[in-house]
Amino acid sequence: MKENPKVSYPLYESFKDKLKPKRSQAQMVLSKVNVFSRLSWQEIKIIENAIHIRNYAPGEPIFKQGDPGSGMYIIIEGSVGIFLDIPNQSPKQLSKLGNGDFFGEIALLDESPRTAAATSLENSTIIGFYRPDLMIILRTKPALGAKVLLALSEVLAVRLRSTNDELVKITRHLESLEGSEDHE
Amino acid sequence: MNNSPPIEIAPQSLRLFHQSLFKTLVYFFLLILVLAGVYKAFPLVMDALFFIVIAAILTAVFNPIVDRLESSGIKRIYSTLMVFGGIFGIVGLGIVKGIPALLIEIGKIRDVIQQNAAADSLDAIMKSINLKIATVVPGFQLDSEMISSLSAQFFGQLGSILAGALDTVATIIFILIITMFFLVDGTRMTKKLIGMVPNRYFEMSLNISYKTKKQLTNFLKGQLLAALGVAIQSIVGLNLLNWLFDANISGVMLIGSIAGLANMIPFVGPFMGMIPAIIVSLFNNLGDPVAATHFYFIVHIIVMFLIVQMIDNNIISPIVVSGSMDMHPLTVILLILVGSKIGVLGMFLAVPAWGISKVIIQEVYQGLKGHHLI
Repeated sequence: MKENPKVSYPLYESFKDKLKPKRSQAQMVLSKVNVFSRLSWQEIKIIENAIHIRNYAPGEPIFKQGDPGSGMYIIIEGSVGIFLDIPNQSPKQLSKLGNGDFFGEIALLDESPRTAAATSLENSTIIGFYRPDLMIILRTKPALGAKVLLALSEVLAVRLRSTNDELVKITRHLESLEGSEDHE
Repeated sequence: MNNSPPIEIAPQSLRLFHQSLFKTLVYFFLLILVLAGVYKAFPLVMDALFFIVIAAILTAVFNPIVDRLESSGIKRIYSTLMVFGGIFGIVGLGIVKGIPALLIEIGKIRDVIQQNAAADSLDAIMKSINLKIATVVPGFQLDSEMISSLSAQFFGQLGSILAGALDTVATIIFILIITMFFLVDGTRMTKKLIGMVPNRYFEMSLNISYKTKKQLTNFLKGQLLAALGVAIQSIVGLNLLNWLFDANISGVMLIGSIAGLANMIPFVGPFMGMIPAIIVSLFNNLGDPVAATHFYFIVHIIVMFLIVQMIDNNIISPIVVSGSMDMHPLTVILLILVGSKIGVLGMFLAVPAWGISKVIIQEVYQGLKGHHLI
């Protein structure tokens, strides 16, 4: 079967490009984060007005272990290492996060001390979304604030469920180990 | 003898030396220019700072109302305009209704003084007042000439007072315009300012800024609610005195408002609120020989204000004032003395300003401590 040749309309293409809404890099990154992925572009724009974009040099701490938690971070560009301080030992790297990854979201809900430290591993551009920003959104745009909180609780629920699964697995493993010891 | 040859300086080093000397001189000259500029501009900078501080306090007061309107779906700019519409409406109504009433009141007092002075009946009243004063302050005596000259001085200065009032109105309008900008764009301005803080102190600064703003709003809201409570109680109380004991106190609304505002100054405020009521009732009762002889209305006013204070201290303030000022009486007296150097407004603002500074210092200290920076 003969394929129809593709017809191009230069004038239409040019208008289409011009009419296409321009999204900033921060908006694109935010739209891919679980906490904001269900928001409309208009709502993401409100979140964009509330966030803080910060630049970190290689090795520069983003927060330290034990600091009061203030908010979550989303990596636009670069990489971040999550470290656990162990007394009398060098810090242990727990994970390495890259573009689009987020961390520290529990701090949006409570001010308890950070359980690990985050350090920029290279020149990184990071979005900071802090509890005061969320509070202002909750006060001035309660519907949007509720959507963010709901999404946040879903993220935490998924994480809690997976922690529970891990706990069940470990408990079963321990029980099987105890059983095998009894047999011996 | 050491005939060492003179040290030769290379022309290049000499040129460098001259260059650095020239640079130092230029920097020194610039520094002097900047210092002179700062010295010259200092009063202007202080004025601007004063306007900004007052506007920031007003922003903290009105921000919850604007936020509430915005949360109902109205754009922030329109919410702000609605709040300002309300403020201008209330102030306008106060001016339209209040100023003519105040002028009539002043006129009445002037007439009473002049009539009594002319009829020599003031001397009879003075005698009875002086008998009472002699038991408290021996040697001090009032006479009708003193009262007349004092009143003449007051009415003579009325023109300059009104001119000053116009100047104050211009200042108030200017402060309100700054407040409007703060209310509409305050969050963005704060974000820009905090954005300049280095990464190490960023989280802490953001938290301190948010908590300080919250505390400040709570503090001012509490103070204003308590002031409103005292004002309403005083108005009701003074009206009751007029109704029950025929106390002949006029300008009740104005006196009640003054009592409410003065109540923001601990310890001294309640007495400051009492004074206008006593003065007005004294003038209004000058023509009544019975009232002027016994002065029972003064006792009534004092008792009424004491009851208002009891209700405020035991019921209203504990509920509405979240962060009590918790100040030593000596601190309050010292603050009022320092504030008096600026004028009546300084006296009035010194204690609340100290209360606000205390909140800010506490929040900064706790923030620094939480981030292990101190």
